[in-house]
Amino acid sequence: MTQQVTACRPRYLSLEDKCLPAHQLAASLMDLAISRGANKERLLRGTKIFYQDIKSGRALLSPAQLLGLMANVQSQVDSHDCSFLLGRRIFPSNYGHISNALLHSRDLKDALRLLQVFRLQICPFMHAYTYRDNQQLHLVFNDALGCAAQWQFITESYFTALVAGTRLLLDRRVPFHFDFPFARPRHIQEYEENLGYRLNFSQPLLRIRVDLPWLNAPFLQQSQSLKWHAIQQLKQNQSTRLGFIEAVRNHLRHHRQQTLQDTANAFGMSPATLKRKLKLYKIRFQQLQDELGMQQAIHLLQVKKLNNEDTAHLMDFSDVPNFRRAVKRWTGSTPSQLRL
Amino acid sequence: MLFEKPTMNISLLSRHQNLVSLIAACLSLSVSLSFGLGQLKDWQEISWLDILGEGSIALLSLFWLFFILISRPPGRVTTGLVLGLSCFMFSALLDLFDEFVHYQAAAAGLSLIESIPAGIGMLIMSYALWHWHQEQLALNRQLCRREANTREHGQIDFITQLYRADYMRGQIDMQLRTKDDSPFSIMMLDIDNFDRFNRQFGPQEGDRLLREISELILMNLRTTDLACRYAGDRFILLLPGTDLTLANELAQDIRQAISHLAFKPYEQASPIFHSMTIATEAARTGDAVDSIISRVNRRLDDSKQHA
Repeated sequence: MTQQVTACRPRYLSLEDKCLPAHQLAASLMDLAISRGANKERLLRGTKIFYQDIKSGRALLSPAQLLGLMANVQSQVDSHDCSFLLGRRIFPSNYGHISNALLHSRDLKDALRLLQVFRLQICPFMHAYTYRDNQQLHLVFNDALGCAAQWQFITESYFTALVAGTRLLLDRRVPFHFDFPFARPRHIQEYEENLGYRLNFSQPLLRIRVDLPWLNAPFLQQSQSLKWHAIQQLKQNQSTRLGFIEAVRNHLRHHRQQTLQDTANAFGMSPATLKRKLKLYKIRFQQLQDELGMQQAIHLLQVKKLNNEDTAHLMDFSDVPNFRRAVKRWTGSTPSQLRL
Repeated sequence: MLFEKPTMNISLLSRHQNLVSLIAACLSLSVSLSFGLGQLKDWQEISWLDILGEGSIALLSLFWLFFILISRPPGRVTTGLVLGLSCFMFSALLDLFDEFVHYQAAAAGLSLIESIPAGIGMLIMSYALWHWHQEQLALNRQLCRREANTREHGQIDFITQLYRADYMRGQIDMQLRTKDDSPFSIMMLDIDNFDRFNRQFGPQEGDRLLREISELILMNLRTTDLACRYAGDRFILLLPGTDLTLANELAQDIRQAISHLAFKPYEQASPIFHSMTIATEAARTGDAVDSIISRVNRRLDDSKQHA
């Protein structure tokens, strides 16, 4: 059970790793905040970013620095549309080869597969697990790096980027359905304007659903050869590093009932070290397990419509009452309520 | 850049050089009069409680002067306010300093007349406040169609300087609550292909287009109407006392005005013409704010689809 995961990957991407080009997300954020009257020095205060870095086009920033910049933008700019405006500037933009690969991809299915592989290049903060039922593809999103207070801002930005991007590539608006784990915000008009009207709030998980036929609707600028060229370029300087939380989550997903001890063994570290590392990302081991359990239970019960016995069995629960209690604790509803 | 972020902005201070020197003169005159003519008291004679009281009056009036100077451009009203308040501060300072000094017999008159500038200052200030009132009425007239009967500067959109969606929600709510069920209509306007324009010419030109279009919308409204920025490239209008037929006529006027706007990005000579998709909805009995807004939004999206 406890095989070593670490052997092939020497290090995980951490919040402090300088790996994100400053002239991309940071530059867009600075531009839009300054055009809304924010002060350049105050935007950079406490982030250890220099304006020179952004202009030079060579400097790299850490995810923590970008999160700091996002926090400053929100305190400096007194309106709720920054995240959405940022999202509209993510694609197509100067993210290099990944932008080109996406621009020339065949359809949404192809684009999502590219994103899955080369996600770090354009969307380092969130990662998604995909599920599928007869009608829809479900993308369940998780925090890859520990975004904490900026999670909603990041969600708004990247979801807007997805909607605006697919609209550009299809010349039509894809009817995505959105489920948000937070309450209906007061600035609902921004959500409606940027994401559409298929919005559900106060849901147990962060999810996008899309009807299956949309996955194969042909993109207007598709080009096999241009896409392959971009992918070749991407592969040359691809770093396959995962975020640490993401790696633990991937591991737990395949070993549902593992304890902290087992997981720490699998990652070749002591339980205390694992706990300490998770704490850096402001997340606890139990919390990770609960989130994954909830996502899996919702998938099996709501999407696959399995009964309690089968679901409990698939999720390695010893008996059904235990399973019912767990589901109630994770989602606030019983399995039969979820199945409706 | 057009506007500065509303934190502490003291750029107006440099335009008030005369008034700043007037205040400095008041300060130095009061110091030299008191300490030049009087003799310092002994340590025990000083009443610290009086100093605290009188000192805070002097300090606060200086503080008010500062805020007047950084808030208002030069002009008659500003001069009046500063002149009056300076006189008041002069008296307050004399009052403060005579806690520290004895006056000899020759200068005893000073303590008798020290309150006179305050009285004169109050008169000047009252006169200035009357003019300030007139000025405020003039400004309110300038703001009509941008502002209804409440003022919330925190809800103003930075790009267009119109109020934001929250403000409009409040105003629609107020209309729905009025007893005399007079009809009113809501209009939603959306710029066609704004995304494409933004991609082609950059977000800065996009912001400028939003500003110009908001001005153009305002010009086509009646004085009783209210225009706000809803979200992105969407604007929302409140048309009191207006039924659907009249609202549609107004929509037609705006559509025509927009189609004649020859917007020139980056000062280039060849203009880019724009069009807007517009939807209108009349309020129904038992309507709530969200229901009427979502109705008009839906109607707008329908007409976008069919365009």
